[in-house]
Amino acid sequence: MTETSTSLPIPTRNADRRRRGFAQWLASERVFRVIPFLLVEGLFVLTILVPFALTIWISLLKWRANRPFETARFAGFENYEAVLSNDQFWLALGRTFYFAGVAVALELIIGFVLAMLVSRCARSRQFYTTIFLVPMMIVPIVVGYNFSMIYIDSGPLNQILAPFMEAFNIDPRIRWLSHPIAAQWAIIIADIWQWTSLTFLIFLSGFAALPRQLVNAARVMGASPWQTFWRIELPLLKPAIVIAVIIRSMEALKLFDPVVLLTFGGPGTSTQTVAYFLWEQVWVFNKFSFGAAASIVLLIVFSMLIFFAIYMLISQRRPVEGSAP
Amino acid sequence: MNADVTIAAEAARKRKLRRQRRMRVGRHAILLAWAGVIVFPIFWMISTSFKDAGEWVAWPPHWLPHEPTLLNYAQIFAFGALDPTLSRQATEQAFTIWKGLGDAALVCTTASLLALLLGTFLAYAISRFSVGGKYFRHTILMIRMIPPIVVAISILIYYAIIIPYATTALLGVRISMFDTYVGLVLIYTVTTLPFVIWMMLTFIDEVPYTLEHAARLMGAGRIEVIRRIVLPLVASGMVVTFLFVFILNWAEFLLALTLTHPEVTTLTVLLNKFQSAAEGRLYGPQAAIGTIVTIPVVVMGLLIQKHLVKGFSFGTLRK
Repeated sequence: MTETSTSLPIPTRNADRRRRGFAQWLASERVFRVIPFLLVEGLFVLTILVPFALTIWISLLKWRANRPFETARFAGFENYEAVLSNDQFWLALGRTFYFAGVAVALELIIGFVLAMLVSRCARSRQFYTTIFLVPMMIVPIVVGYNFSMIYIDSGPLNQILAPFMEAFNIDPRIRWLSHPIAAQWAIIIADIWQWTSLTFLIFLSGFAALPRQLVNAARVMGASPWQTFWRIELPLLKPAIVIAVIIRSMEALKLFDPVVLLTFGGPGTSTQTVAYFLWEQVWVFNKFSFGAAASIVLLIVFSMLIFFAIYMLISQRRPVEGSAP
Repeated sequence: MNADVTIAAEAARKRKLRRQRRMRVGRHAILLAWAGVIVFPIFWMISTSFKDAGEWVAWPPHWLPHEPTLLNYAQIFAFGALDPTLSRQATEQAFTIWKGLGDAALVCTTASLLALLLGTFLAYAISRFSVGGKYFRHTILMIRMIPPIVVAISILIYYAIIIPYATTALLGVRISMFDTYVGLVLIYTVTTLPFVIWMMLTFIDEVPYTLEHAARLMGAGRIEVIRRIVLPLVASGMVVTFLFVFILNWAEFLLALTLTHPEVTTLTVLLNKFQSAAEGRLYGPQAAIGTIVTIPVVVMGLLIQKHLVKGFSFGTLRK
């Protein structure tokens, strides 16, 4: 900041010259480097860093929102002890990882297969791409709604499944949202429906960027399609796979909207994700300082994942940067 | 040429063709099956939005409304109380969406424009001068990766408790950012900035620096260069980025739910309110709102479909 202020031109009595001087100062490289950076960083500090510092402070107090703030007293690490010894918190965290793991794995497989098949199409590629990308653009809340309509006991999904179920002597009226395990799968299926389009998109762009000469050369030299796929295409697609895994798992771990829309964390706590658990603690039970402590714990758990993800992104990017002129 | 060899080659060619055709049929079967999976929930929503109350949960389900009605749409677009001829036992009130629509449009547009403005300039600075160090473009993604519930809790404490206390103590006026347009716009801007910077970086990186250099040598000032050379070249990229960020904000739910309560109501929050309606779930009006919310975003998304790949490739998928 001091650096920029010293570069101001010496004020002169000539207003015109001063204006030109100001324009020149505005156009100087130093200003271009500093001003956007300061603005954005300032915004981040103001809205992310300061609230986090305050959150840490609140997490050290003993206070509930239904009492006045003045009655809060310093409690040390009491809240952290409460969080770390809270079984529900750890169960919700584990459940979040379970949902994310299952959903992301299935999304990657389905997305990869679809992208491979579509990339082999010639004329119908545009048609399939357009349809497959639609779920990604639909508001997650609306997706939750659609599935809450489809999952009702006398809904269309049970009607479609009925012939198969009757063949195995199972009651066709599956209670999708009130059976613990069915409810978990209901949420996973909704997530897969929506986000397979994203993995499909990433893989499709990966397939489109494959250097054709390499694949053709391998074929000319007598490689079977199977060999071409495993030895040439898959290694070249590694960056796309890494990106799909990182983006999807970071998003899947935030899972919240379908839980609120479909099950409210129930039946019991079988679909409570960690985001839903925290939301309930703070907004329903008003346990602010508990929530603050839990969010700090969660942030520490996540920051390791985030650093790992960023490291993977940078290491995937490096060869590209090296080859660029 | 030997006749036997010709016949054998012909047979092999036919076999190959037949196998290719079989593979093509199998491929299209799988792709069409997935297309059916994709279309089915959307079809069901649109179909339900034209159904009357009795048909919402009928068994066996009615795939197409037997008596199509526009009642659901009349309810959600009503300005005041419903016409008595339109009201029904369970759903007498009108579910006006004008307030939610207006708030969502206002907040999303303002936040997206603000993020676009700040993000484009910072992206330019990063691309040309590597502001913030070599890995700044990666570290900025961290903000996007923080779970929103963690952000929501700290922002709630900040907006609803600390700012009112601080302003009361310092200025003597109680100012709360909770449940205000400014508060929501601010947090939306911050959470979408990383994506704007990322997308604009891929567009600005593609503008050849030699072009700028040539213009500078010919005597154009830096601002002139940006206005006459860089901005026209990245204009389409800015439109794509704006639409993408707008879709993100339009779909945002958690922050809107937690940081606003009675006053500011975006569409997603409004939709969620139906969930706790005392009469039970009102599938018809829900489906009608869902249809209305979905149409503009899907149209926007399809417009920028080709460019979406860039936004999600995070710079590693280059040809």
